[in-house]
Amino acid sequence: MGGRASHPAQWGAVIERSITQVARWVVAALGIATAAFVLLDAEYRHHFLTGSGVAQGALIAAVALGVMLTYRGSGVVNFANGVIAMYVAYVYTVLRRDGDLFLPPLPNPLSVIEGIVHQFQPHDTFHLPDIPTQISFGNGLSFWPALAISLAFCIVLGLVLHFFVFRPLRFAPPIAKVVASVGLFLLLEATVIRRFGTRPIAVKPIPFLKKTTQMNLGFIKLNQEQFFVGMLVIAFAALLWVLFQKTRFGLATRAAAENEKGAVVLGFSPDFLAGTNWVLSTVITGLLGIFVATSLSTIEPTVLPALIVPALTAALVGGFTSFPRTTLAAFVLGMQKPLISYLGVNKTWFPKSGDQAFPGVDRVLPFLVIVLVLYLAGDALPARGSITAGRLPFSPTPPKWALRIGGPVLGLAAAVFGLFIFSPAYRGALSNTLVGVIICLSVVVITGFVGQISLAQMAFAGISAFIVSHLSSEHGWPFPLPIFAGAIVALVIGLLVALPALRVRGVNLAIVTFAFAVAVDDMIFKNNSVNGGFKQALVKAPDWIDPNQPKQRKIFGLIAGDGKLPNPTTAIFCLVVTVVLCYLVANLRRSTTGRQMLAMRANERAAAAAGVNVSATKLLAFAISAFIAGIGGAVIAYRSGNATPDKFDYTQSLVIFAFAYLGGISSVGGAIAGGFLVAGGLVFTFLQQSLGVPPEFTLLLGGLGLVITAIQNPEGIAGRLRTDGLRLKAKFQKPRSPSSAPTTAAPLVDTGSP
Amino acid sequence: MATPLIEIVDLYTGYNNVPVVRDLNLHVSPGEIVALLGPNGAGKTTTLLTTSGLNPIIKGDIKVFGRSIKGVRPHLIARQGLAHVLEDRALFFQLTVRENLELGSAKGTVDIDQALKYFPALQDIQGRRAGLLSGGQQQMLAMARALTSTPKVLMVDEMSLGLAPIIVENLLTILRQIVADTGAGVLLVEQHVHLALAIADRGYILSHGQLVIEGTAADLNANQRLLESSYLGGGELDAAT
Repeated sequence: MGGRASHPAQWGAVIERSITQVARWVVAALGIATAAFVLLDAEYRHHFLTGSGVAQGALIAAVALGVMLTYRGSGVVNFANGVIAMYVAYVYTVLRRDGDLFLPPLPNPLSVIEGIVHQFQPHDTFHLPDIPTQISFGNGLSFWPALAISLAFCIVLGLVLHFFVFRPLRFAPPIAKVVASVGLFLLLEATVIRRFGTRPIAVKPIPFLKKTTQMNLGFIKLNQEQFFVGMLVIAFAALLWVLFQKTRFGLATRAAAENEKGAVVLGFSPDFLAGTNWVLSTVITGLLGIFVATSLSTIEPTVLPALIVPALTAALVGGFTSFPRTTLAAFVLGMQKPLISYLGVNKTWFPKSGDQAFPGVDRVLPFLVIVLVLYLAGDALPARGSITAGRLPFSPTPPKWALRIGGPVLGLAAAVFGLFIFSPAYRGALSNTLVGVIICLSVVVITGFVGQISLAQMAFAGISAFIVSHLSSEHGWPFPLPIFAGAIVALVIGLLVALPALRVRGVNLAIVTFAFAVAVDDMIFKNNSVNGGFKQALVKAPDWIDPNQPKQRKIFGLIAGDGKLPNPTTAIFCLVVTVVLCYLVANLRRSTTGRQMLAMRANERAAAAAGVNVSATKLLAFAISAFIAGIGGAVIAYRSGNATPDKFDYTQSLVIFAFAYLGGISSVGGAIAGGFLVAGGLVFTFLQQSLGVPPEFTLLLGGLGLVITAIQNPEGIAGRLRTDGLRLKAKFQKPRSPSSAPTTAAPLVDTGSP
Repeated sequence: MATPLIEIVDLYTGYNNVPVVRDLNLHVSPGEIVALLGPNGAGKTTTLLTTSGLNPIIKGDIKVFGRSIKGVRPHLIARQGLAHVLEDRALFFQLTVRENLELGSAKGTVDIDQALKYFPALQDIQGRRAGLLSGGQQQMLAMARALTSTPKVLMVDEMSLGLAPIIVENLLTILRQIVADTGAGVLLVEQHVHLALAIADRGYILSHGQLVIEGTAADLNANQRLLESSYLGGGELDAAT
């Protein structure tokens, strides 16, 4: 890494470095020019410096500050921090409205027993007590008591998150922490939706702040509430800066973040530091959540969670260490929103779609900033030195018996059940499961084999699905051509997303892909010229796939289907694609390329030293993964007869990642297990149809299961079955032939079957 | 005899429940330097990590200041007055020399001047980030940081790692001085056997996780052939034990 390029081999590196250097200057210059233009031009300035922008920025800053605190305290990038802001705001709102403190999720486990019993006897004969789900403080509380209770709730929440979720994950690999925070995201969001539905709830005003009182600060006009939240965030940022720069606590947190072992032998408890930072984080996030919800006047469960993307962007700009820089970036990201919506309406040069302004441009900005920052600054997240860094779950080679016997048997069973045995509800579930398996496979390739976290798999799938819709119905492409067109476009876009992945990895990459999923969701899927608006984006499928053609067919002299929806052969189409992809991925794992991917997963530098072309392999993995996701999206489109944005929004990307991890992220068997678990898949249909569990538990159970899996069983269901199988086998074999080496024997119960 | 500062009794310790160190007995008293010697992989570092509570005990016991450390969390052991200079020095590279020293003890009472007295070379570079120091300076900082808490017992792991012998000799002399001044006990893990035995009072030699010989530094120094065979393995050892 010498300064001079004395050898031709170093020139490449030097050129790359100077390009980066130039790029940095260019970006900085562009940024300054834009800022100067916006601030100098009266029209732009007027729409940039707005009260609503300040409030928005304050909330982003609060979420970002919370994220930074938990990262510095415990090494967790908390994707759920936006949801935490929302959750606390709901707690406060309901305290003000009804005087009730609603208790955390806890779906009443007794309701499962009730459901089972109700299958056999009438509903009114058997009732188990409900678990109390709220504490009542009488009628609606006034501001201060409600605030006090909400803050106490924040403290408890912070402690619970620390002690029950993230402390047990201290030594886990970063991916397990990401998974747990994704689980938390789903769990808290599902709780709120289950309780309050998705409709907005009014938030009572704060007595000493008036919306109607405008304040004119000369350069900006805002109302009292907006002024107050802006000031509050700046005060918090300043306080945190002092805390971290000037106090022993802050110094110790910084020290422990860098070298945990070093802090321990000096007598610091990383546990205490992490817990305190968690509490600080939830309190700051929650408090600002309350105030911003007040200034927005209403609260609904879909707005705040997505703020995690601009918040992470701001945190990245601050390098996850600088509170002032992060706060500034957050304000800019919040304030650009009103400006861009103004420009969209009033400027002719603004990109248009139909005659409307192109949607989601304000969401794309964070994504671009993230990509730029990460690309130019390399790994922006300072690495944490923990006592032990955990490993990703073991990725077994698919055994021969699984490929030769397990796969065909499973496939045949699925076909027979789908055609002749399943009732309509289960037929639909089978298709959902098979599609889920495909998307989980794409996660297995990118995350299980290569160790790169991608939270955008459903975005790739969606891109492909909408392409399939347009090509098949508008351009009349015959089946199956649109599938390949869609998958190839997904592949190309996957490669583009992979470009930053050449320089960033781990949690940083998770942030990039997550931002990508949100941007695509807002810009493309929610775009009416893509999703067809009221008409929907329909898909023209051949009769045998079309789910709305519930014909009965004769197959081998047997009658398939009962004449009801869905079409029984739709599932067969899904099955064929799934089986083909399973074998492809299993063979990838067995090939040299697969081994190179695993080598990279373990240690990129070591892999490079052993002659693996790291960049090429990474790009290849992204391409394969996006291609598989693209095929998955195309299959979803064909099997549903349409492509709708809700199937592919960013939450779905999180959910599928969650289920893939639950199933087991490092093997084909894990993808199959994950497919069984997906929403609307076989397991949940079984729970609903046969055990009477209400459908809204799906996300709750998924989120909860994810958190528990991340902590208890990082190998996933497939991994667990495998190790249990090996143990069982060892037990049975011992008495018979203690000397025979079991090294060549295949595992007894390996769900690593394709 | 006063209670030993560290007393290791029939200790089995290792990783994932597989013992690396077996049946070890060892003690360190106030005012003495005890050298723990042995070839690579003998279990020296593991022993120190277990004494700090960073590694679990499989069997046996370790008493620090007369109290068993079983079930005591590592940072609380440190707070009782046990300082540990880790093999990798565990400095906080992002923080300055001064800040590293200020973090020397979690209890809040740090005697930085005292520590700097032994390592005057650090005096002028207090504002520098630890990551920018040379290897020798880093080792000094690690030792100085451990001293700021005025420990009753100091464990130093491989201070010679990556350093020239002359610097090691210098550091060892300072260590002797510290013991003379403060009456602390020192448990020293060292690769340079002769340098270590030159300043130590007693020595233990581990091989493959088992104690091979122990004795005063003078005795060990006198018995060169036994020393060598404990490192290289061989018949001399069997004859002696």
